[in-house]
Amino acid sequence: MKFKRNLPLILTLTLFGFFVFVPMISAFEYSIRTPLEGGYGWKHYIWAVTQDDFVYYIMRSGWLAFLTVLITLLILVPTITWLHLSQSPLRVLIDAISLLPLVIPVVAFAVGAQISLPEFVQSTILELPFLYFVLCLPYAYRSLDIGLSAIPLKTLTEAARSSGANPIRTINSVIVPAIRGSVMATVAITFVLSLGEYTLTVLLHWDTFPTWVTFVAQENILGAIAISMMSLIIPFLILTGITLALPERSNQGRK
Amino acid sequence: MSSKSLKLANVTKRFGNVTALDNFNFEVGVGELVALLGPSGCGKTTALRVVAGLENQDSGKVFVGENDISSTPAHKRNMGMVFQAYSLFPNLTAEENVAFGLQMRKVNKEARIKKAQALLELVGLPTHGKRYTHQLSGGQQQRVALARALAFEPEILLLDEPLSALDAQVRVNLREEIRRLQISLGTTTLFVTHDQEEAMAISDRVGVMNNGVLEQIDTPDVLYNQPATNFVASFVGVMNKIPSELSDGHVEVFGKRLKAIKSEQSAGKVHALIRPESINVKTNSTNLNAKVLTRSFLGASSNIVCQLSDGTIVQSLMTSSGSGDLHPGSSVELEVATSEVLVTHG
Repeated sequence: MKFKRNLPLILTLTLFGFFVFVPMISAFEYSIRTPLEGGYGWKHYIWAVTQDDFVYYIMRSGWLAFLTVLITLLILVPTITWLHLSQSPLRVLIDAISLLPLVIPVVAFAVGAQISLPEFVQSTILELPFLYFVLCLPYAYRSLDIGLSAIPLKTLTEAARSSGANPIRTINSVIVPAIRGSVMATVAITFVLSLGEYTLTVLLHWDTFPTWVTFVAQENILGAIAISMMSLIIPFLILTGITLALPERSNQGRK
Repeated sequence: MSSKSLKLANVTKRFGNVTALDNFNFEVGVGELVALLGPSGCGKTTALRVVAGLENQDSGKVFVGENDISSTPAHKRNMGMVFQAYSLFPNLTAEENVAFGLQMRKVNKEARIKKAQALLELVGLPTHGKRYTHQLSGGQQQRVALARALAFEPEILLLDEPLSALDAQVRVNLREEIRRLQISLGTTTLFVTHDQEEAMAISDRVGVMNNGVLEQIDTPDVLYNQPATNFVASFVGVMNKIPSELSDGHVEVFGKRLKAIKSEQSAGKVHALIRPESINVKTNSTNLNAKVLTRSFLGASSNIVCQLSDGTIVQSLMTSSGSGDLHPGSSVELEVATSEVLVTHG
């Protein structure tokens, strides 16, 4: 009886597991193979972390991802809050615009960026976080939009204002903590997407962790897979760490 | 406590084609509790939001004491506000919610927690400081919201229908407590409600609004007994409308000649406006002019609903002991126990 009731859940988890975990486990298995000696070992992982450029590129991509997260939150939280509060008709338009990165091919986007951005912006790698922000927009926008729709935003904002909070403090002290779950989801999505972004980076002739991995893969494919595994696990651990480190003051129990 | 007076001078506010406040003038004295009462859409909430700075008036000025705060942003107005909807910050405990206004004013942590605890005690929740919003009942949440609004010693306290989401019993208790606190702290208070019983019960003065205009503002007694306009007369309390003929400034109701006051005309068809407590129901009479439909026992008094021969329904409020022999279907005589009445034309 219990099994029957849980059948949809079991089916979903099995399918999810099949598509997510099987490739990961396979990649991991592949990365610890030692074809010359036979059997398994950590050889490729040791090779990867002893590469001169490993730390350099992972730090570089980490910083770019961090900046992307910052830009995303700084732009989107006030904007979407304003759209909700003002009930502006622009909301429909911005909603549609936020979906464009899904429709426009990255190649077209990269060419467009190269044509339209001034030279001094193109000459610095700091152009990437802004462009990553655009790529992450459909997911980040939706996540924050849902979070803000789920709270009594107008009342909370007005309560904060009448208690003496200026607009910035209202966002910092009231709105962001009230949509903590959505903000965390946005951070996770944006961080992971920017850390793994490849196409746009290559098209704009920048080197980051993913482009470096493809470069070293030419020399040692098993080592490259080991690096990929690490690049999957490290952000996962970082994000889990952030989530756990934040104090447990959510509104999960809200009626 | 640094309470100040509040004044709205010639305030007009429009939303598209709708005029929510039409050249609105209004004053609340220092330490006074004034209620704005009116049907939905009459502009009472807009008036309160203009005072709070949450809505900008199209024209006119708002004064707190001598200061013109018409263009001061909401967060700099130093006004505590309690909302109709539950408005506590879900990520903060009750104590932190109360201390929020003090935190915004950069009061040090120790002092603000002490103040928050004192206020929670004042609103009857001394042990609830560490609870989150979802661990509090509706009534408790509104008490915390009240404590939050009072914590930073506001110049004006604004109450936007704070009781309307609560159960009947909690409402009555909380409104009494609001009044007790308001008197003891001496905070100038503007209270917006559509519930006349609530407004009459706890206010020093009540302003009755209709279509963006203040129809009358006075003490509850005067509003009830000497309504300035027909709207006030019919909105505040129960009012019988008895068809009658006006001639020579007088009307005849149940055979008694009554002086029509504040009448624009001196003759014509009118309705006499008479309170239920001004109508007596007699059984031992030869002049039977009505039939009892129902008698509702309300404790010390009873509400008797009668019907005249022309179909008009008339309500009478009598002592329960004096109306025990009135049963549905009994023929009775109705009598007016007043010599002056308000009339409406048509």
